[in-house]
This record gives sequence, C-alpha cells and structure tokens, in this order.
Amino acid sequence: MSSESLLYAAATVLGAVGMWLLLPRPGERLRWGGAAMSVVALGLILSQISPLGDMLSQSMFVVLGSVTVIAAAAAVTFRNPVYCAIWFAMMLLGTAGLFLLQGAHFLGVATIVVYAGAILVTLLFVLMLANPRGNAPYDRLSWEGPLSATAGIVLVGMLTMTLSSVLKSPTLADDLPSALLTAQAVGSGNSDTEQAAARNGGQDILSEHHSASLGGRMFSAHLVSIEVAGVLLFAALVGAVAIIAHSRSVRSDKQTLAGKQAMQTPSTNGRAGA
Amino acid sequence: MLEALIKIVVVIGAIMTAVAYFVLLERKIAAWVQDRKGPNRVGLPLTKVRLFGLGQPLADGVKMMLKEEYIPGHVDKALYVLAPISILAAALATFAVIPFGSVWPTDGGPIEFVVAPGFDAGLIYVFALSGIAVYGVILGGWASNNKYSFLGGLRSSAQLIAYEIPLSLGILGIVLTAGSLKLDAVITQQAETGMWNAFVQPLGFIVFLVAATAEAGRMPFDLPEAEQELIGGFHTEYSGMKLTMYAAAEFMHMITASFLIVILFLGGWHFWGLTGSGDQITWVTALIRVGVLCGKIFLVILGFMLVRWTLPRFRFDQLMALAWKVMLPLGMVNLVLVAAMVEYFPGAIVDRPLIVFLGMSGLTLVSLVSMAILAPLGSKQQPSTLDAEMT
Repeated sequence: MSSESLLYAAATVLGAVGMWLLLPRPGERLRWGGAAMSVVALGLILSQISPLGDMLSQSMFVVLGSVTVIAAAAAVTFRNPVYCAIWFAMMLLGTAGLFLLQGAHFLGVATIVVYAGAILVTLLFVLMLANPRGNAPYDRLSWEGPLSATAGIVLVGMLTMTLSSVLKSPTLADDLPSALLTAQAVGSGNSDTEQAAARNGGQDILSEHHSASLGGRMFSAHLVSIEVAGVLLFAALVGAVAIIAHSRSVRSDKQTLAGKQAMQTPSTNGRAGA
Repeated sequence: MLEALIKIVVVIGAIMTAVAYFVLLERKIAAWVQDRKGPNRVGLPLTKVRLFGLGQPLADGVKMMLKEEYIPGHVDKALYVLAPISILAAALATFAVIPFGSVWPTDGGPIEFVVAPGFDAGLIYVFALSGIAVYGVILGGWASNNKYSFLGGLRSSAQLIAYEIPLSLGILGIVLTAGSLKLDAVITQQAETGMWNAFVQPLGFIVFLVAATAEAGRMPFDLPEAEQELIGGFHTEYSGMKLTMYAAAEFMHMITASFLIVILFLGGWHFWGLTGSGDQITWVTALIRVGVLCGKIFLVILGFMLVRWTLPRFRFDQLMALAWKVMLPLGMVNLVLVAAMVEYFPGAIVDRPLIVFLGMSGLTLVSLVSMAILAPLGSKQQPSTLDAEMT
C-alpha cells in the first residue's frame, strides 16, 4: 500500500469513529473527542486536494468546502432539531458559495432560494409549531449510528481520492469536466486562462448570459425531465389540496353532529322533565 | 479587487447613513401626520445650533451603542445573538447587485455603479437574500423564549413565505419583457423603449408593490411586530445594539424594496429627455442618472411612510387570504398577459406604446373588477372558521 492510500485509510477510520462519537445517542458521548478526531480526518483529506488555481480561489475553496462539511456534520450531530436546521442552512450557504466559485451563478442562487428560502423555513415553521416544549427522547437519537457514520466518511474520502487523482495525473487532465477548469479561470480572473477554459468547453458557464443558455438547454434538451417534474409537482399539489379538503369535510361533519347534539340535549332534557 | 473594495465601503457607508436619516424622516412624517413638531432640538454636537433636528440620528446612534448589552436569562443564547446578525448581514449583502446609477465614464473604460457588475442572476440573488432574512425573524422569535416573540416569529414566517409567491410572479413578468435576470439589463430595456414597465404591465406593478410592502414588513403588513397586539413581536426581548440591528435591517428592507420597485417598474435611472439611453455618456449625464434614481427612490420611500400612517393593519386571516386568493391569481393573470404580448406582439412596446399602455390598463381594470365581484375576501371568512381550518 502506498503512503497515500494509508493516509486515506487512516482518515476514513478516524472520521468514522469521530462521527460515531458525535452522533446523538442515549447516555454520555465523548463529543469533544469525536469533534477532534473528525477535524483531524477532515484536515488529512483536505491535505490531499491538489492546488486548483491561484492562492485566492484555492483558499476560498478550502474555506467554503470546510464550512460545508463541518456544517453538514453538525446538522446530523446536534440534538436540538432547530439547531440541526440552522446548521443545514449553513451547509446550503456553503454549497451555494461553492457553486458561485465555479461560476454557476444561477445554480448557486437557486440553491438558496429553493432550499434555504422555502423548504427549510417551512421545516423550521413545523418544528416550532409541532413541539415548542422540546421534543420526545426518541427524536433525539440517530438510528444506525456506526453504519451511517462510516458510509458518510467513506463517501467524502472516495470523492476526494477520485478527484485529486484525476487532477494530479497529467494525461487525464484533458478529460476533466469543464467545471473544474473553469474554477481555475474564474478564480484567477486571467483572460488567458479564461480562453483556455473556453476552449475546453467551459464557455457555457463563463458566458455573460449563462442563465439564458441554461434555460434554453433545459427547455430543449431536457424538456421531458422538466415536464415530468412539473407533472409530479402538480400531482403533489392536487394531493395536498385533496387531503386538506377531506380532513375539512370530516371535521365539519363532526362539528355539525356535535352542534346538533348540543341543540337537542336541552330540548330532550326539557321533555324528560315535563 | 481594489475597485470592488472601495465600492463596498462606499455602499455600506451610504446605506447606513441613509438608514439613520430615514429614521429621522419617518419620525418627522409621523409628527407631521399627527400635527406635532417632531424631533427638532439636536443640531451640531457641543454647540447650540439646532439645524432643524438634523443631528438627531447621531444622538440616537450614540445612545443605542452605549446601552447595556443585556441578554435575558431565559433565552437560547447562541440563536439569540445570531438572529439579528443574520438579518442585518442578509440585508446588507443584497446591495451587492443593486445598481445605484448607470456607469461612470473614465479613460480606462466605464465604471459601473454596482458592487458585483458581472453577476448574471441579480434578480434571484435579491430574492434569495430576502429568503435568508426570514431566518433572523423566526430565530429571534424562537430564541427569545417568549410567547409574544414566538407569535411574531410564526406570523412573520407564514407571511413572508406567502408573499414571496406574488413577488416572484411580479418579477417573472419583468424577466419576460427584459429577457435577462440582470437589474442593469432591465433598466436598459426600459430606457431604450422609453416605456417603463409600470405602463406595460400595470397589474404586475400592483401585485409587486403590495408583495414588496409585505416582504418589507411595512404597514399595513407589519403583523410580525404589531405593537398593539404583540408588544414588539419578534424583537420584544431585544435591546441596545441588537435592537438597532433589527431596526436597521428593517429600514434596509424598505430601501431594497424601493430600489426594486424603481428599477423593475419605474424605469430606474431613466427619465424622458433628460438621461439619454446609451452607454456612451458624459459625467454630467452619469450624475443626472444617479440623481434621477435617488429622487425616484426617495419618492417611493416617502410613499411607504405616508401609507404607514394612512392604512390600518390587516387581520391575520385577511393577510393570508389577500396573498393566496387575490395576489396569486392576479399575478398569474399578469404573467399570462405579458407572455401573450411578448409572444404575439413582440415589437409592440416600441412600435405602438400607447396601444400597449391602454390595452394593458384596460385588462388590468377588468381583472381588478372581476376580482372585486368574486370577492374572495368577503365576510364568509370569519376568524373562528379559519382557526378550525388551521388546527
């Protein structure tokens, strides 16, 4: 085994144990130990990422990536669901920042609008409405802790390993997804690298009107997927309305029934008295 | 890099100063409406010069900063501190994509009056940050651990989510006519045709105006902090600097809303026969454009402040019904109308502006009248039935 794979193995084991220690479960947990181990594992993995471009984009990437990963870990390890939701929002901001760093303006902003602006706010709303007095003990536990911790850290490690090995080998660099090269171009802001990225197929992302071209692409090449998603959403909407209408009719039946009984009770009493 | 930093410093300084003086303006207008004099004592510091009370913002700021940083014992400390920071940060970050004018001609090429000129999705960015601002309100309400604050936070999140939909429907009409998500492009399109979007899509303007007022939490939509019902709503437990941050963020939301209204619907820096339309301009034209934009924004903000003392507050079920039963259908109608116009009469805005204006105004009138006949806000919706529905 090379030193590199040893390092990845060490990082994976450390990270898995650290995450497992962090996950909420009954009784005491070694939170600080788990946090320290996870941070060391994250540092080991980060050290394997080869430089993307100049110092500025590299440091931005490292900061945003670390924020995203740490916030994601915190989102699953906190006990209070409101805190989990806030950490999840932080993770979304980090993801959006990574998208912006790659030059994908629309995707980055849409992430915030859809997830942080709509879904998560609704979730928070429900959390606060559902149990303002705190939550039940079984809500505070994580299920299948060791397995999920291992799966998560292995995923992060494998992704980093694959990407960094692709970046390191010179022969494979031509086959890179255009987004990786564009990251260099956007970060450096150098017109030469921008042209180089454009030659490599990155012009869609770097173009001034990339939102417009994205829309054109979505409604021509991916029209069927868009339509299917639209039909699904519409069905969900109809389903939601149906559920509300059903529960409302049931409740109003009960109410009218209760009302009739309430009306009848005094009269029957009166008759009985008479 | 340096250019961007200078722009950031200038924008933040200008916005914070503007917020301070808008507070004074609001107090003055409140006094004027209520037949009082308002703050008129504070002038230059350490002298007896009064200057019509223009020193008041300085005195207010110093007072707020020197107040004790008091954190009540029953709050969730981390979130209590985080909430005002997040709302202020989101409100300030919005101004990164908002143009404060057109361009400034220099030898090395024109300098744009935007902090982030190359940003392609400016409209959705503003929209996204208004979504982030919701967190400040609901977290503040929840972390305060107080029934009034909590109610304010819940009201606010429901209201903001509901009114984001008509807001986005209003924006979609603009995107259709402008063909871009850049705020610059929207202004340029209006300046080139000379037809402000308020004339092309009056229905969209009405929907957007109402939704933007609700998003900014201004009267008559200030349910989250209704003083008479909730003491102070989500910021009941806040004081000192944190309360200042909330208040500043609230005024910034109003300024952002005014910028959006002016840029999207009232032509931005354009005024007929005064500002020209191209990019090739002298510095006199550039200054006039900034002046026109600021003047329009000042008028819109003045309107917001007069509305505050003119209209009574909605009841909560009326507020929700207005969003879902009135504004949402009207926004859809506007979107369909604009889409049909763009598809079937593509050159009509340039060729026959009068016909477009009259036709769209007529259709707006028709939809408003039919909405009034349908009357979804009628007396059938009593609070008692609504409570039963919500539980």
